[in-house]
Amino acid sequence: MPIRTTEIDKEIITTGDPRNVTGELIEAAEAAETGESYIVVAGQQHSPELKTTSHQRHYVRYFLLPIIFLTVTLLGGLRISGVDGSLIFLKPALLCLIFASILLALFFRGGMINLSGWIDESLSTIKNVANGTILLTLFAASTQLFNSLIPEQGMPFWVVAFCFFWTLWNNLFADLDPVKLLRSLGGLFGLAFVAKYLVLANLTAPVGQSWLRAIIENPAQQTFTWLLDLPQFAAATGYIQFFAVMLYLLGLYLLPATTRDQK
Amino acid sequence: MNEKYIQILGLAIAAAFGVFIVFLYAVEPRSIEEISHKAVQTYDNVTTKGQVILGRYEVDQAQFQEGLNAFRNDNFIAARDSFQRADPESRDPAAQFYIAYSYYRQGWGRITNDDELFMKSSEALQRVTLLDPNFRSTDADLKLATPAELRSELEDGLRVTISDFNPLRVFRERK
Repeated sequence: MPIRTTEIDKEIITTGDPRNVTGELIEAAEAAETGESYIVVAGQQHSPELKTTSHQRHYVRYFLLPIIFLTVTLLGGLRISGVDGSLIFLKPALLCLIFASILLALFFRGGMINLSGWIDESLSTIKNVANGTILLTLFAASTQLFNSLIPEQGMPFWVVAFCFFWTLWNNLFADLDPVKLLRSLGGLFGLAFVAKYLVLANLTAPVGQSWLRAIIENPAQQTFTWLLDLPQFAAATGYIQFFAVMLYLLGLYLLPATTRDQK
Repeated sequence: MNEKYIQILGLAIAAAFGVFIVFLYAVEPRSIEEISHKAVQTYDNVTTKGQVILGRYEVDQAQFQEGLNAFRNDNFIAARDSFQRADPESRDPAAQFYIAYSYYRQGWGRITNDDELFMKSSEALQRVTLLDPNFRSTDADLKLATPAELRSELEDGLRVTISDFNPLRVFRERK
C-alpha cells in the first residue's frame, strides 16, 4: 500500500504506515460506495460528525452547565422588596446546605452522577479540576434552590423544611434510577414552588396599606401575614424563582452521569 | 477547540461568575445602579487591605490636610470625616489623635460637656495608645499633646464633682 498523508482536524496522519494504522483503512472511493464517511485509525472511528458532537458535548459540559448552575446560585437568593422594589440578596440558611448535601448524595446513589466518571486519578488534572468545579456549582445551585423554595421565616419555614427533609430522607433509601429521580425531584420542587409562590404568596397581605385599612379590606390576608410571619415580596420574585427552578432542572437534565468519553 | 482549552476557559468563566456572585451576596446592593458604586468601594477596601499586608499603607496627605484645616476652623464633623478618609484602616496615630481631639473639642462646653462625645474621644484615644504608646503630637495648637493628658481631661469632664457647680467654670478655656 502506498504511504499517503491525510489531514484530519489539523492532525497529519500517515496512512499506509503500519505504525499509525492498526485498524482498517477504508479507501475514499470505497467509503463513498458504502456510505461510510469515517476512517478507522488505530481502531477508533474519526469522523467530522463525531468530532463536532464531542466538541458540543464539551461546550455543554464545561461552559453551559457551570453558567446554568451559577445563574441558579445567583437568582436563588434574590428577592424583590414589595415595599420599594429594591433588590434583597438572602444568604442561605444552614439547613439549605444540609439539604443540598443530601441531594448530592441522592444523585450519587441514584446513579445520576457516577463519581468515578467525574473525579478519578485516571483523568487528567485539569479535567479533574474542571469536573470538580461543575460539581461545586451544582452544590451551590442546589443550596440556593432550597433557599429559594423554603419560606424565609416563621412556621412555614419549619413546615416546608420538614417536608423536604422527609422526602429527601425517604428517597435516600429508595431504589431510584436517574430518570425516576429526575422526575421525582421535578415533582418535589414544583410542589414546593406552588406552595411558596402561589399559596403562601396569595395569603400575604399587600404592602403599602395602613394597618386599619388592611384589616378592613383584607382581614384574612392580614391575619395570615401576621400569624405566619410572611415576608412581603413583589410579584417579580415569583417569576425570577420560576426561572431559577426551570434552569436548575434543565441543568440536571443536561448533566451527564460520567465525563469519560464513550468509545 | 481542544478539550483542554475548553476546560480551562470554562474554569475561568466559572471562577469569574462565582466571584461576582460572592461579591453581590457580600455587599447586597439594593439596586442595579448601586452595584458599580459598591464595586468601587470594595476595590478601594481591597487595595487598602493589600497595602496594609504589603506594608505600603500610607495616610492620604491631601485628605489629612483637609481634615486639619477643618479642625482648625472648628468644623469637627468635617474634620473627622476627612481624617477617617485619610486613614481608612485606622492605623495612623496622628490621624486617630486628631479624631479623638475633635470629639473632645466638639463635646467641650463652658457649662456642661457632652458625655457621649467625650466617650467617643476616649475610644479613639485607645486606638492611639495601641498604635503608638509613646505618641506625642507636634502640633503647637494642641495644648494636650499626649493621649494621657487628653484622657485625664476627658475623665475630669465625665466625672461629676463639687467643682462642676462653681460659677467661675464659665471662664475656663478650652484646651
